[in-house]
Amino acid sequence: MKCAETIELETPVIPTATNAVRIPTGLLGFEQIKEYVLIAKPGEEPFAWLQVQDNSALAFVVIDPFMVLPEYQPDIPTTDVEFLGLKNSDDALLLGIVTVHSATKATVNLKGPIVVNRHTHIAKQIIIMNAADYSIEHPLPLAETVA
Amino acid sequence: MLILSRKSGESIIIDGHIHVKIVRVEGDVVKLGIEAPSSVPVHRKEVYEVIQRSNQQALMKQPLPLPKLAGAPKVAPKTNLPKP
Repeated sequence: MKCAETIELETPVIPTATNAVRIPTGLLGFEQIKEYVLIAKPGEEPFAWLQVQDNSALAFVVIDPFMVLPEYQPDIPTTDVEFLGLKNSDDALLLGIVTVHSATKATVNLKGPIVVNRHTHIAKQIIIMNAADYSIEHPLPLAETVA
Repeated sequence: MLILSRKSGESIIIDGHIHVKIVRVEGDVVKLGIEAPSSVPVHRKEVYEVIQRSNQQALMKQPLPLPKLAGAPKVAPKTNLPKP
C-alpha cells in the first residue's frame, strides 16, 4: 500500500472565497485563529476539512452532526443566534469537530458544534445549552477495514 | 488575583461593558448574572476546558487519510456556501 505517497502527491486544494469561514471569537483554545477555509475533498465524504487559512498544515476534520445522529437537537443560546445573525434554522450550517483517535476509532464533539451562517460565512463554536444530553466523544461508526 | 467583596444584588463592571451581578447567595452556591456583548464568549470553566481539550486533540497537523464511515450516506457538509 502506498498511502503516504498518495497523500504527498495530492494536488493542494486551493481555497476559494466562496468557502472561507470567519470565526471572530475563534475555536475554544484557538481564540487567536479566526480565518478558516471549509474544504470537501472527493472520496472523503461525509467528512470535510476546516483548514486554517494561513496554514494549510493545521486543520480540523468536520462532519454534519445530523448525519451521525439524525435526532440531534442542539439548543443554541439566543445571544449566539443574534451574534450569528440567524433568522431561521435554514440559515445555519452545523459542523461537528471530529477527533480521529486511530484507524479504528473516531469521535465527534456534539457538545460544542461550530455553527456557520450560510449567508455571511460567520461562524462560532457554541456550547449548546443541552450539552449535558450529548457526548463530547460521540463514536462514529467506522467501516470495517477491507482485509 | 483581584479579590472583591460583594453583597447579593451588587455588581462589578469589567472594562466598562461587562456587568457581573451577584444575584443570590445560597449556602456555597453563588448565582451570577452576567451581561456582556455577544462578541464576548462566557463559559463555565469546566465545560470550556473539556471542549478546549477536545479541540486540541482534534487538531490535525498532517493531512492523514480519513477513516470510512459505515452506513452513512456519502454527503459532505455543503462547502459551497452562497457568497456573502
